[in-house]
Amino acid sequence: MTRAFAWIYLAVALGFIFLPVGMLVLFSFQDGRLPVPPFNGPSLRWYADVLGDRRLMSALGNSLIVAAVSSAIALLLGFLAAQALARYRLPGTLLMRVVLIAPFTVSYLIIALGLLTLYNRTGIGLSLWTAGVGHVVINLPLCFAILYAAIGDHHRNAERAARDLGASEVKVLALVTAPMLMPSMLAAFFLSFTFSWDEFIIAFLLTRFDVTLPVEIWSLLRSGLTPRANAVGSLVFLVSVSLLLLLELTVFRKVRR
Amino acid sequence: MARAHDNRQGWGLVAPALIWTTAFFVVPFLMMLALSFAKMEGRSVVTGFFPDNYIRIFTEPSLLRGLVVSLEITVTVTVISMVLAYPLAWIIAFRVPERWQRLVLILTILPFWTSYVVRSYSWLLVLGQNGVINKTLMTLGVISEPISMSASRFATVTGFVHFFVMLLTLTIYANLKELSPNYARAAQDLGAGRLATFRHVILPLTLPGLMTGAFLTLVLCIGDYITPQILGGNNELTLPQLIMMQLGRRGDFPMASAMAVVLMGIVTLAYLFSARWLRIDRL
Amino acid sequence: MTAAPVSAFRKSISLSLLAATALTAAAPATIAPAFAQSQELNALVWCDHTDPELVQPFEEEHDVRVNLREYEGTAAGLAILEQSRPGDWDVLVIDAVDVGRAVDLGIMAALPADELPTGDFFPELVMEDLNTRDGTTYAVTEKFGYNTIAYNKAAVDPADMTNFETLFSGKYDGRIAIYDYYLPVLGMLSLSEGIDTGDLDAEALETLREPLFDLRARSSQVSEVVASQTALATGEVDILVGGGEWLTAVLASENADLDWTIPEQGGVLWAQSIGVLESSENKDLATEFVKYIVSPEGQARLATSSCYWGMPANAAAGDVLTDEEKTVLRWDDQPDFLTRVQRYPVPDAELDTAMQDLWTDMLQQ
Repeated sequence: MTRAFAWIYLAVALGFIFLPVGMLVLFSFQDGRLPVPPFNGPSLRWYADVLGDRRLMSALGNSLIVAAVSSAIALLLGFLAAQALARYRLPGTLLMRVVLIAPFTVSYLIIALGLLTLYNRTGIGLSLWTAGVGHVVINLPLCFAILYAAIGDHHRNAERAARDLGASEVKVLALVTAPMLMPSMLAAFFLSFTFSWDEFIIAFLLTRFDVTLPVEIWSLLRSGLTPRANAVGSLVFLVSVSLLLLLELTVFRKVRR
Repeated sequence: MARAHDNRQGWGLVAPALIWTTAFFVVPFLMMLALSFAKMEGRSVVTGFFPDNYIRIFTEPSLLRGLVVSLEITVTVTVISMVLAYPLAWIIAFRVPERWQRLVLILTILPFWTSYVVRSYSWLLVLGQNGVINKTLMTLGVISEPISMSASRFATVTGFVHFFVMLLTLTIYANLKELSPNYARAAQDLGAGRLATFRHVILPLTLPGLMTGAFLTLVLCIGDYITPQILGGNNELTLPQLIMMQLGRRGDFPMASAMAVVLMGIVTLAYLFSARWLRIDRL
Repeated sequence: MTAAPVSAFRKSISLSLLAATALTAAAPATIAPAFAQSQELNALVWCDHTDPELVQPFEEEHDVRVNLREYEGTAAGLAILEQSRPGDWDVLVIDAVDVGRAVDLGIMAALPADELPTGDFFPELVMEDLNTRDGTTYAVTEKFGYNTIAYNKAAVDPADMTNFETLFSGKYDGRIAIYDYYLPVLGMLSLSEGIDTGDLDAEALETLREPLFDLRARSSQVSEVVASQTALATGEVDILVGGGEWLTAVLASENADLDWTIPEQGGVLWAQSIGVLESSENKDLATEFVKYIVSPEGQARLATSSCYWGMPANAAAGDVLTDEEKTVLRWDDQPDFLTRVQRYPVPDAELDTAMQDLWTDMLQQ
């Protein structure tokens, strides 16, 4: 591959990747009711509109809560399971690993339908939390896999030392293992958080009134063509990206050293 | 190490995760499997062991077509995404100077963080009759009439490829960076040309990563409802769209379950096919 | 997987760090603090009811939170209700022609007919035959409109649109979109074949297959509300079969060229009814909600709600709506329109399945 071709390819690829986002953001500033060309000039009315929208804002709140809680549960369960399978020689370890990873290889739609069947049969009413359960199911394999891969022998030695000094198993996990795995724990948590936060089909099928942001955006899209959708999308994107860059420049710069 | 006392603790640690996965994944799936053998009579579900739904999926042209459409789209998307992502990852890994690589990589996958639902919608703004592409081409005088691009399989595939190029660039990049440059150097020292080095050394070494990426693409693509729903213009229906139609319009849960089981079957087949390259089971 | 995705994920982990921390910190502030109301009302509705401007005045007046959930087709709505527990739902919005199906299932509660302003309604919209059974009123019509032909008059000869047959002439091939709801579109086709929508049965349905597939072949897409609007507004298509004021009104201020008409073959009248559910544990408040919706103020807000516009069933809403709004709704033409349209077909479960099968076949053609 020649040098020039490589740079051209890179430029074109980046153009392709940024094209839709660029349009999205541009037409979120549209002064008019239709987010399509021609661009009528900048206006912030749709941002004001979105920020003042009760349904969107409560959906945002719901999304954050579900993402935080479901990721925390997935992290805790994943951490314990990874610890167990990495440390103890349990019979059927391979089978357990397969079972724990399995949800990761299945479409979300299938997980959602399965849970819907379960809830219908057992008479559990749909709510934000029934969707949250689904989010734990999809994120548990991820947390487990990341932490399982991260646990190494040097952790084991530190744990043994702590045990020899008389620390209880709970204390060892909480005060020795968890802190040593902190970068991976953080990674697992935030990755789960983003997956849950942006997840649509499980939240769509398993919530009733208190919906999450992607579901609310979906009904916004279905109910009419409006730059509001652009404004919401741009806001989510801009907030995500600025935090991402902030974290990249602070936390991870340190971690890599 | 393997003392009985220790093992009890081990079981205690793994139990919560196993119970959760069993109760909210395995059991629901089995219930759905059972429901897929029920059937609708009028408006009520008759439980039992009826193969009716499956027979319909594989014999009714419109339903079978959904299966075919899903497979065609998924294969197209997977192939195109890999072909586009590999050179991109390669360029970032070997052409971009080391100190800029991370920045370029972040840029490449930045739009990942657009809301998933909104991402497809924004392609409508690009591909539409009055979208940027048409507007630009017409201003440049390349075309005189707008080309019809949205509401088609082309639009669906474009939306998917956009997403998976980002995902695959990431996985392939990681894979390429793990390669020791010594392999390539050694091959070249032994007289292999660049192309031969790539074909016989680098490609085989990155194959597991590539296959894992392809498998992920397949799973995510074939089960996706939003992208074809927003971009496809209902000109053809994929399996997930048919499933949502059973739920949303007909209230036919048994049929939706049967279709989901078929979807699951396809993913399993794809898994078995690619298992020898995948590393999922080696975790 | 240890190698590729996970390490890829881990390398990109910083990327995933995202919004999380700061957003989590911001969460408590965004969780609407205003919902301290004592009572809740759960309504299964169509998207036009989710406009805050419609619901908020009622919530404030009665100190109640109205929870709304949208649904698509009657079959799906009834499925949701069947899978719920008693008390889950209080209010139901449903196709007027399907009220009977709901009554058959025993899920509708009686409404106090004397407290409903049906005396002020457009007479055709009282729809006693649908909303009432054996002298008991189970639902009340709230909104109506037409599924006909919407078009862009800058790109289409309006004279052509007065005849449904023009769509099959080849002149507009590839510039047509079909609204993705089987009942009204099959109703329109049935009218163009000279079959009254009320006479549509399994046998008659088969005669629609060919024209439906023909129309499909001449269309570039079959789309839901938003995609239809986008397509018309952006010039993707110039004609929408099944469209009407519900589609063009929202865009009227933006593109004055969007218009609609009822062809000489006739159009289909859509009407939605609202009622209280038998299993509701809060029937009084639910009834109050229904009364609010059919009051002149509620009707005016519903008519112009953000999802789609439509005529209010209660003609007294005319005193509340502005002249501009009435012009967009074509208030003065209603008596004429109403004589030229027929109601939705009313299929039983079997025919409904047959219709949906036909529709799926058409989509997958």
